[in-house]
Amino acid sequence: MQCEDCHLSDQELLLAADGELSAQDVARVDSHLAACWTCRTRKQELESAVAGFIRGYRRTLDSRIPSADGPRALLKAQIAQLNANTRHSSVASLSDSFRKFSWPVAAGLFLAMLLGYFAPRSWIAPQRARAATVTVPDRILTPGATVFIGREEVCRASNTKNKGVSTTIRRRVFEEYGIPSAEPRAYEVDYLITPALGGSDDIHNLWPESNAATIWNAQVKDELEDHLRDLVCRGQLDLTTAQREIAMNWIEAYKKYFHTDRPLEAAKPQ
Amino acid sequence: MSENAMIKASSASKAALAFEAEASSRSPQTSLVEQEVLALFDRLREPLFRYVLSFSLTMADSEEIIQETFLALFQHLQQGKSRLNLKGWLFRVAHNLALRKRRDDRRDPQHFAVTDLPCEELVIDPAPNPEDQLAASRKQEALAAVVDALPEQDRRCLFLRAEGLRYREIADVLEISISTVSVSLGRSLARIGRAVER
Repeated sequence: MQCEDCHLSDQELLLAADGELSAQDVARVDSHLAACWTCRTRKQELESAVAGFIRGYRRTLDSRIPSADGPRALLKAQIAQLNANTRHSSVASLSDSFRKFSWPVAAGLFLAMLLGYFAPRSWIAPQRARAATVTVPDRILTPGATVFIGREEVCRASNTKNKGVSTTIRRRVFEEYGIPSAEPRAYEVDYLITPALGGSDDIHNLWPESNAATIWNAQVKDELEDHLRDLVCRGQLDLTTAQREIAMNWIEAYKKYFHTDRPLEAAKPQ
Repeated sequence: MSENAMIKASSASKAALAFEAEASSRSPQTSLVEQEVLALFDRLREPLFRYVLSFSLTMADSEEIIQETFLALFQHLQQGKSRLNLKGWLFRVAHNLALRKRRDDRRDPQHFAVTDLPCEELVIDPAPNPEDQLAASRKQEALAAVVDALPEQDRRCLFLRAEGLRYREIADVLEISISTVSVSLGRSLARIGRAVER
């Protein structure tokens, strides 16, 4: 590195370009570059490599990053929930017990637990723990997921009956929702966005719908799904909008599209 | 995929409404921390998202990791811990969460075939004419192949550097020495350079 006449290494050229050299080394590299065409050319080649890489990297990934608005609102909501939990429960002592882990692991585990990935349901947010009758899915566990399918394909399908969910996936859904093993019979694992509207069988689109729900039950949801599909196929509603509305809050969607505050007569339990 | 994102976005807006009342009762200190976290989210979500995507995770998983990362930041700041180099801190947490997620996915034989596309797929840049387009796409393919063939650590160094991290910060995230970062970047760029020139 101290050899005045030696050419600079790729590493040195890169360190210089990245501003990672000491002032003394910068002066040495600059003076060499001023004198040496070979090293100047090599420096340019390295810069072209950086530019080529960055172009490919950004083009490949930038277009795939979804808008920040929703995630930002979700983060705000989760911070609020975190605050509520800190006030209402013994989160502080749980946090203490994680201190023996390295901080990223502890923070990750702790938050994952709060988000309900590992914790029994009773440990999660108090309002979730109390909701034994699940009528609306948890938006973090079940945000909804779709397959790449267009309106024509959705409307072409004659059989709109949902296919069954495997036992393994059912178990995973129950685990995620912290439902004790004795209770699963009280729930049906249902698609949030029905496959008849392009919903996928990804776990993010599955939730345990409570059989105990008397008003906003599975039949009422089916009715909404049929209605939205009709609207989509008649060209009166965009497929993406239908999927989004149902994923946001299917009960609100029902009220909106049937112009009612209660399920229609036909959907009420006999 | 974009539909998924939209769905998440909409449900998130709903979630925000539900917690609006709660927000008004928060302490001024929490509110300041929250503002700080949100400001960092606005500035660093995209770089972090790109980095997490480079682990071949799905969009949904990546989004979840970003949320967890910023929630961890909120906790970190609320507990009055160090504010030194929060950008490096965020990348380190995201890196660890992404690694863990990828490890869990690989370990789980029942891992679901997700509907999102993994990140490695190449996006071909629209060029003015078909010949240019073909040439550009071939070059990009060659470049992507070179990057894919790099050892994991070299790729991590490259991606973190691409997101503007300094050598010291990269070393901290990957728990390696600065000189290893420097050697790794030099080696990778030499390979990429050959692919670009071809």
